[in-house]
Amino acid sequence: MVFLAFRIKVKNAETGAAVEMELETENTIDEIIESAATFWSKDMGAYVLRKGKKVLRGGTALKDAGIRSEDVLELIPDPEGG
Amino acid sequence: MEGRLRLGAIDGDRYDRSRRVGWLDMDAVFGARVLMVGAGALGNEVGKDLVLSGFKHVTVVDMDHVVGSNLNRCLFFSDEDATGRRAKADTVAKGMRRLSPGTDVRPFTCRVEDLPEAIINDQDIVLGCLDNIAARLHVNARAYRAGKVYIDGGMEGFIGKVMIARPPQGACIQCGMNRSHAKVAGLRFSCTGKDVVFHEPRLAAEITTTSIVSAVMVREALKAVSGRSELLLANAFYYDGQRNVAEEMEVPPDPACPVHGRA
Repeated sequence: MVFLAFRIKVKNAETGAAVEMELETENTIDEIIESAATFWSKDMGAYVLRKGKKVLRGGTALKDAGIRSEDVLELIPDPEGG
Repeated sequence: MEGRLRLGAIDGDRYDRSRRVGWLDMDAVFGARVLMVGAGALGNEVGKDLVLSGFKHVTVVDMDHVVGSNLNRCLFFSDEDATGRRAKADTVAKGMRRLSPGTDVRPFTCRVEDLPEAIINDQDIVLGCLDNIAARLHVNARAYRAGKVYIDGGMEGFIGKVMIARPPQGACIQCGMNRSHAKVAGLRFSCTGKDVVFHEPRLAAEITTTSIVSAVMVREALKAVSGRSELLLANAFYYDGQRNVAEEMEVPPDPACPVHGRA
């Protein structure tokens, strides 16, 4: 099976930093969240990835999430305190 | 027809200014039954906003007691409450009654998981002021199953979020979660340090963010009980006070969400 590779940019909402990621269409949103959080040494916690105003569902593969090459996604913390 | 004007009459009506908001149904607000889960920082602010807005029937649930580190962000807590290790639910209920005498506030000092089903079923709306994902998921599922609107608030430092689940349509709170939530779902962050299953650095908590998140929650509750569902947040409100960002975000329903399957 051949997976298409493409590149996206993920922005860190808390710092404004950005990282380019090379991905395959079968990769999931969860995997991007984990990779980005690890790359930026984020504290353990809940994060979501969004494209524009839309929050992307964790288990969805990129090809099903409508992600295209050169898209810019943003990693934001999902606050749990009360 | 001649009317009679008594000078100062409008200033004697506690809710006169609220009645001037055209879409607010104050009779519905007075009669609505609200469950507020959590009586910490967010619970203090939400409780204050609820009773000042005219809600007269509120049930408050929290398992914790007051400690000194709560006092930088909790309107109803005092040093005496902290040294006396008073229950948060009781203390918030007392403060709410003080702000709005005659208001029926029922405190329960227990885990929300132990709250009888009948109490949730008896509410018109549920407000979540919780500090952990596991409890949030629990309340979300029970409120959804009972067909109650659930307004969930969360915050950390200068970041806040409000999400609304409106069964039987649209996304619920669980629909917006992913694997990172699952990893921390079993952890409980307690302000007291008691009942912590797994110790983690404590969450940053900050009163200005709390005020904004609580205000949005209660404003949405006012819309819901006033029957103005078309004015409600469609999905989630996201606030970042550090970057001065406030925006609405779309959370698509998850067709595989177990909460919807059980509803």
